[in-house]
Amino acid sequence: MTDTLPEQTQNGSPDVRTRARRLLPWLGSLQSYIGLVLIVAIGIATQGDTFLDQTNLTNAVGNFASRGILAVGVTLVILTAGIDLSVGSLLGFASMASAMMLANHDMPVWQIVPLCMLIGAAFGFVNGVGTSVLRIQSFVMTLAMLSIARGLDRQMSDNQSVGTTVAGPDGKLTENAEAFQSLGTPGHNVGVGFLGPDGVYYPVLAFVVVCVVFHLILSRTAFGRHIYAVGGNPTAARLSGINVTLVVIAVFTLSGMLAGFAGPIDAAYSVSADPQAGNTYELDAIAAAVIGGASLAGGKGTIIGTFVGALILTLLDNVLGLNAVSDNWQLVIKGLIVVVAVVLQRPGLLRTLRHRLTPAEKETAP
Amino acid sequence: MTSEVPPAPPLLAMRAIAKSFPGVRALKGVDLTVHSGEVVALLGENGAGKSTLMNILAGLHSDYEGVIERDGERVDIHRPKDAARHGIGMIHQELNLVPGLSAAENILLGREPRTSRGTVDRKAMDRRAAALLAGLGLDTPPRRLVKDCRIAEQQLIEVAKALSLNVRVLVMDEPTSALADAEVQRLFTVIRELTAQGVGIVYISHRIEELEAVADSVTVLRDGSHAGHRTMADTTRAELIRLMVGRPLGELFPRRPEQHSDGPVRLQISGLTRPDPSGGPALHGIDLTVRSGEIVGLAGLMGAGRSELLQAVFGAYGPRVRGRFTLDGKPYHPRTPGHAIRRGLALVAEDRKEQSLVLGNTVRFNGSLAALTRYRTAWRTVSRRRERAAVAAQMTHLKVKTPSLESTVSDLSGGNQQKVVLARCLLTEPSVLLMDEPTRGIDVGAKAEIHALMDRLAAQGTAIVAVSSELPELIGMCDRILVLCEGRLTGEFHRDPAHGPPATQESILTAAMARETVTDGDPAAAAGRGTTITDAPGASPRTDGSRDD
Repeated sequence: MTDTLPEQTQNGSPDVRTRARRLLPWLGSLQSYIGLVLIVAIGIATQGDTFLDQTNLTNAVGNFASRGILAVGVTLVILTAGIDLSVGSLLGFASMASAMMLANHDMPVWQIVPLCMLIGAAFGFVNGVGTSVLRIQSFVMTLAMLSIARGLDRQMSDNQSVGTTVAGPDGKLTENAEAFQSLGTPGHNVGVGFLGPDGVYYPVLAFVVVCVVFHLILSRTAFGRHIYAVGGNPTAARLSGINVTLVVIAVFTLSGMLAGFAGPIDAAYSVSADPQAGNTYELDAIAAAVIGGASLAGGKGTIIGTFVGALILTLLDNVLGLNAVSDNWQLVIKGLIVVVAVVLQRPGLLRTLRHRLTPAEKETAP
Repeated sequence: MTSEVPPAPPLLAMRAIAKSFPGVRALKGVDLTVHSGEVVALLGENGAGKSTLMNILAGLHSDYEGVIERDGERVDIHRPKDAARHGIGMIHQELNLVPGLSAAENILLGREPRTSRGTVDRKAMDRRAAALLAGLGLDTPPRRLVKDCRIAEQQLIEVAKALSLNVRVLVMDEPTSALADAEVQRLFTVIRELTAQGVGIVYISHRIEELEAVADSVTVLRDGSHAGHRTMADTTRAELIRLMVGRPLGELFPRRPEQHSDGPVRLQISGLTRPDPSGGPALHGIDLTVRSGEIVGLAGLMGAGRSELLQAVFGAYGPRVRGRFTLDGKPYHPRTPGHAIRRGLALVAEDRKEQSLVLGNTVRFNGSLAALTRYRTAWRTVSRRRERAAVAAQMTHLKVKTPSLESTVSDLSGGNQQKVVLARCLLTEPSVLLMDEPTRGIDVGAKAEIHALMDRLAAQGTAIVAVSSELPELIGMCDRILVLCEGRLTGEFHRDPAHGPPATQESILTAAMARETVTDGDPAAAAGRGTTITDAPGASPRTDGSRDD
């Protein structure tokens, strides 16, 4: 397997093929693109114009955007061979906090969003310290945090949902509530004129921007490399001078921060913060990362892959919904897709299959 | 198991074995014959096809060309089960033991004796395991967990496991790569006992001096082809190396005979002490000075604290290491590996797969990992152009054979992987290079290249501290050799006898076992000052590294 290969040019000008090879690792796995194309094809074949309608697609992605943002954070954690189960609860907490800031204190959006990110980051920091300093397995640590954050959320809200359509004395939405709604309600698009005549549906924009930013962090910065190294081989990372503890804390903090960022979006989308908001979102987030090619063993995965994985889940929901498949069957199909995606992404799958088949044939012959 | 017929068709014959991997013809028609009671050495550079050939024998590859015969009868071996059925056992270089299970549980894994109620009969299991272990001269309690056993014990537990399967042909892949010289001798005794019982052994090793001691004949592979077969008695080391590399290698070690112990001091350590609460090797009052241009070797048995010494200096144990250090004339104290690297230290760790490489990632990623800050742009990103250029330059400099910088490191051969580790260290431009077993498990050609590199780096002023379990390598490469035993310095030997007691295998081994061999006071070896350790087994050695009890 490791036979000496002829030495090839290492210094010469890279031809198209080596360029493509350099690009490939960042693009994620080919299989997930095939899956995406397949779902789009099914969508077009069964629902045609309804599916392709821009409003439909925007709503579909917008619906999933907050989970997509969680998936980016979870991808970072998974890359270090950890797992973050708390993001759904953190999103719930942040969404409740944002709604209460708006309803009870009439705070402007530009204060609410950073504060929620800070809150999420604080929770994430605790996850990181528990995992790296106290050496609690991340599954256990974030499972505990899932429970803690949800409990605090419900205590804080007294188990009541808080509406975000806060009306002023004139019966119309207050200025701050109006701005808050643009975070997640269709029709309240941002960047009108600046980003096209209709502007852009904010959750979609937020999701795409988060993906771009974190893709650049992962692929271009030393910190990004360190994340891959810590997940690939923590001992090697440490002996290469990387502060593994710090990287792990940073990754959980970022994941928490993104959950905090997604909270207000989810509240605005639902027009209220529910004490149960974000429940099981962590599973969708993990599924998106895994479909996109991230390995729970760490060190393998990309943001582009997660982006594609999130799109697959989104459009799958949408296509199944349009075809009036019941929620229950949607869940079953989603689960099956995860299994199929992971099996298909196994390296050397075809070779293994061939190996399995060949000896069986040989054994029949004496 | 069929018994041998007197005119004896060979125990095992592999004929015209050929095997291709995508893009590579790994084996091009190789023959291998093993007779009952014979030790056949399989020799070849990494990538020559040894592992592929043995994996075919072990049933790990299902599709290959050629014929395998056992006792003259053609057998089909396409999966591990087939190999076991035909009495073929293999001990891999990376041991296949479950660390959390006991020795007995490992030996009889999957074949546990049952009681009448269907539960595991632990007593019977321990009894069988103890008998097998005793047969190998090992008194390890069968209930001891494998992770608590020393590497040498684990190796023998693997042998016991193979024997419990009534193995007739035993393949040993680099069985001594993790053993110190004294433990190797024990393994050889076991091998001789096995052959006396008629077992045939295929022995893979890069250490030719070992083959001279244990093998009856040797088959050499080169680039997937059969390069020659010799009986051990009728061949020479030079001939074997020539067969292996296809060219005469000239001097085995490139270092010139004079001693380079007069440069400015790079690293000075006095009184390094590290108590180890977890029971591993502790370090006691170690003094060490390395000068610019000097290669200092660290010798000792497994567990003597050699690796721990390097790791402690490198900051892998954090700041809780006592002792005074200076680095290039400035005070230094170990803190973290990152701090050590910034101060100009670099470490080639002992186990390249476990401690050095991110195996699933690319050559470029691994090569630049420790030096990323050097390629920082104004935007605080990594300049991929500069990074790639730097890694590519090192790959050319170190003659790494890789299809591209974006190849996955795990696809490279051991020697090339080790060169990637070296490239990572060199890219941080260290003034002191700590090397832990820099040539373990790599082929002769790559070994020679790494030796030449060490010589070149020393000539450029780098101070090198090298740990090796191969004494000829230490003696061939080092200006001075310090010997550790149970965390204490027990000897210092020199390349040039004018500087002090000369480094010989005997003197080093004596010092390495200073605290074990109480009775073996070899008066002949005690000629020099450094070798007086033998007659003072309990007391502190009188070398410069006196301990501070």
